[in-house]
Amino acid sequence: MATVQVSEAEKVYILHGIRDDLRVDGRSCEDYRHMEIETDVVSNTDGSAKVTLGHTVVLVGIKAEIGKPRPMVPDEGYLEFFVDCSANATPEFEGRGGEELGTELSNTLYKVFNNKRSLDMKSLCISPGEHCWLLYVDVLLLQCDGNLYDAISIAVKAALFNTKIPRVHISADDEGGKEIELSDDPYDCVRINVENVPCIVTLCKVGHRHVVDATLQEKACSVASLIISVTHKGTVTCVRKVGGGSLDPESIFEMTEAGKRVGKALHAPLMKLLQQEESLGKKRQKVGFLG
Amino acid sequence: MAAGFKTAEPLEYHRSFLKENCRPDGRELAEFRTTTLNIGSISTADGSALVKVGNTTVICGIKAELTNPTVEAPSKGYIVPNVDLPPLCSSRFRPGPPGEQAQAASQFIADVIESSDVIQTEDLCIERGKLCWVLYCDIMCLDYDGNLLDACIIALLAALKNTQLPEVTIKPEACTPEVNLEKRNGLLIHKHPVGTSFCVFDNSILIVDPTAEEEGLSSAHFTVVTDEGDRLCSVHKPGGTALSGEKLQECISRATARQREIQKLIDKVIQSVKAAE
Amino acid sequence: MPTDNKRVRRPEVSQSPSVFACRPAAVLPAAGPRADGRRRDQVDVRPVFVRCGLVSQAKGSAYIEAGNSKLMCCVYGPRETDRKDETDMKCGRLITDMRFAPFSCPERGSWIQGSEEKDLSLMLQESLRPAVCLHRYPRSQVEVNVMVLENSGSVLSHAITCASLALADAGIEMYDLVLGCSIRQDGASYMVDPTYLEENGCSSGSEDNQGRLTVAFLPSLNQISGLQSDGEMAEETLTAGVRTCIEGCYKLYPVIQQALAKATRKAAPPPSES
Repeated sequence: MATVQVSEAEKVYILHGIRDDLRVDGRSCEDYRHMEIETDVVSNTDGSAKVTLGHTVVLVGIKAEIGKPRPMVPDEGYLEFFVDCSANATPEFEGRGGEELGTELSNTLYKVFNNKRSLDMKSLCISPGEHCWLLYVDVLLLQCDGNLYDAISIAVKAALFNTKIPRVHISADDEGGKEIELSDDPYDCVRINVENVPCIVTLCKVGHRHVVDATLQEKACSVASLIISVTHKGTVTCVRKVGGGSLDPESIFEMTEAGKRVGKALHAPLMKLLQQEESLGKKRQKVGFLG
Repeated sequence: MAAGFKTAEPLEYHRSFLKENCRPDGRELAEFRTTTLNIGSISTADGSALVKVGNTTVICGIKAELTNPTVEAPSKGYIVPNVDLPPLCSSRFRPGPPGEQAQAASQFIADVIESSDVIQTEDLCIERGKLCWVLYCDIMCLDYDGNLLDACIIALLAALKNTQLPEVTIKPEACTPEVNLEKRNGLLIHKHPVGTSFCVFDNSILIVDPTAEEEGLSSAHFTVVTDEGDRLCSVHKPGGTALSGEKLQECISRATARQREIQKLIDKVIQSVKAAE
Repeated sequence: MPTDNKRVRRPEVSQSPSVFACRPAAVLPAAGPRADGRRRDQVDVRPVFVRCGLVSQAKGSAYIEAGNSKLMCCVYGPRETDRKDETDMKCGRLITDMRFAPFSCPERGSWIQGSEEKDLSLMLQESLRPAVCLHRYPRSQVEVNVMVLENSGSVLSHAITCASLALADAGIEMYDLVLGCSIRQDGASYMVDPTYLEENGCSSGSEDNQGRLTVAFLPSLNQISGLQSDGEMAEETLTAGVRTCIEGCYKLYPVIQQALAKATRKAAPPPSES
């Protein structure tokens, strides 16, 4: 993980600020930084989104491919995650430096999203036991400035919302074999219901309080963080403690409660924004990467 | 004092014992460490055994799966042995793909299975050219204190004797196999090969069942595998100093005696497992 | 698929016989006692058998058996770090490696470490690190290797307990032992220390509140060092689950303490005769 050096005096300054609910950049403990979301940014994917959160920038692209369902669940499709920690984001990722973080992130994403209640996996099935859609979710970290989990989860949700899977029909030929036919109309697409897709809230324990959306400086002052993924209904799909320290049970309870509150509040504006962008259609001005 | 001598001059330390016809752990030259056996302790495997030879601990788990036989041998199944030396068993092994020693051990076990006829691969065929069993014999070392090969062969043999395969019938109309997990049958064990390993010190002194330390100091080591008919299945001597034919003859007769002991031990443990059920 | 020339040749594809077995998928009964006679909604952990110092080659080792789950852990080190470029002058490194033996699960596993094992290794590391005084071992590494010999559920929680015991047996300085406990939430009721079937079986009851939770706990410091859940649970259920797991850890505590005391007594040098 990208780290910064923080001196003892700086630490005290940050800690005292957080104690008084005033962080270095003027936010209070449960505020996010400025966030920008743009969907449909990469034309050769089936769905994509770019999220900027403070100086953290992540790009998510989704490719749909036809594959074979897993033998255990023959009537469901599935998702594959791959997180690429490019050396652009921070020099520490050069060579194999980002590999460990990449596996950690993709494993967590797998736990958070590959849940039959988060996404309707059955809708990704084409013919049971033979063909299903599998969605390759590629996450590219372009810039790291703390709080990767939250930014990635929002980007994944936005990209899933943006994903258009071509409609296919199954027809039987003369010998009883099955054939997959792709719809002739390129605009004849299936969308994914993202209503239940959770968002991740990372809470960083700093001093006796916890903060949402920690910057790298704040992270350097904290002992441990709690990753909580929350659905729009406020149910928790995944919790995970990360970072080297331990937490006492009471603060874990406080943090899950705060995580649920913050996470629940995140969904409505996000969905509104995505729908708004969608409704603009072709008229939308694309910002892209240099905007 | 003795500890200092041992660290500074390990070979001299061992020699001083060997001169008196004994070994640092109190054994005589031709004495084995205590061998204990535990059969069928892993319920997720189709057959399993755990062997302890002194400190050396080896576990073997057998999993049977269904596959298609090869075109060249349509009436034969497969036995796939694999010896794993995980970093857990000794600080000398690193994580990652199997090292030289593990590869050599796997190949040795495969050769023993092949040459000794412990199981005839024809017995693993279910339907000629269509369906057969593959027995994955995963042998894992849990504590490495020398004499890995002997322990591996005992573990493999005991696990094979413990293996119960589910009954498979092939529905003629659908051509798909149907498995009855409740009804299981044992394997037919044709031969009982058992190995005995030796180490050579100073070109002439032979010791049996070496510890990891003795293996490291000796000038050569080799393994003799024999079965219950006193037939020689394999002699494995990877390099090292030369050995006279006379000495080898001596070792083979020691190995046949060891084979009897181990077969008796396996039978005794299997009897006690049956009695407990 | 690249050929693996470091191992004995094997058929390219083979299937587990259970695929062809005409048996319905395992469904958990919605109520009543559990398959092994334990009760639901009770902190009913399986009795554990623990032993320290079994492996002669390791600095410290431990074996734990809970029901049919069998795990073994060895600790090596402290020794010089492998990665010279990452040598830390102030703090040691804790390296964890958790593996399933190929025959440990109902379906045969691969020889190569999968992403699940990597994830478990990481969770294990996060749970143990707060308890180990790594600042006492600058520029060195302590290796923790866990091998699952048989997986009958709750392997992560038992791996945590087993690893902390092995670390203590190796004489690595620690603030506290780490104990692990898991639950499976099934609708309104829960099952402590679930078996493999209880962990993975589909529920016959309601669709809400289905999930699994594992907690790593430092008993004498009253701190949680590891927390992981998946599935979907209400926040209140999750909180209650964490409390249940802590209670489960306390049930385990005296057994672990006893095993450690026994091993220490055995290892202590006999009183000198002079």
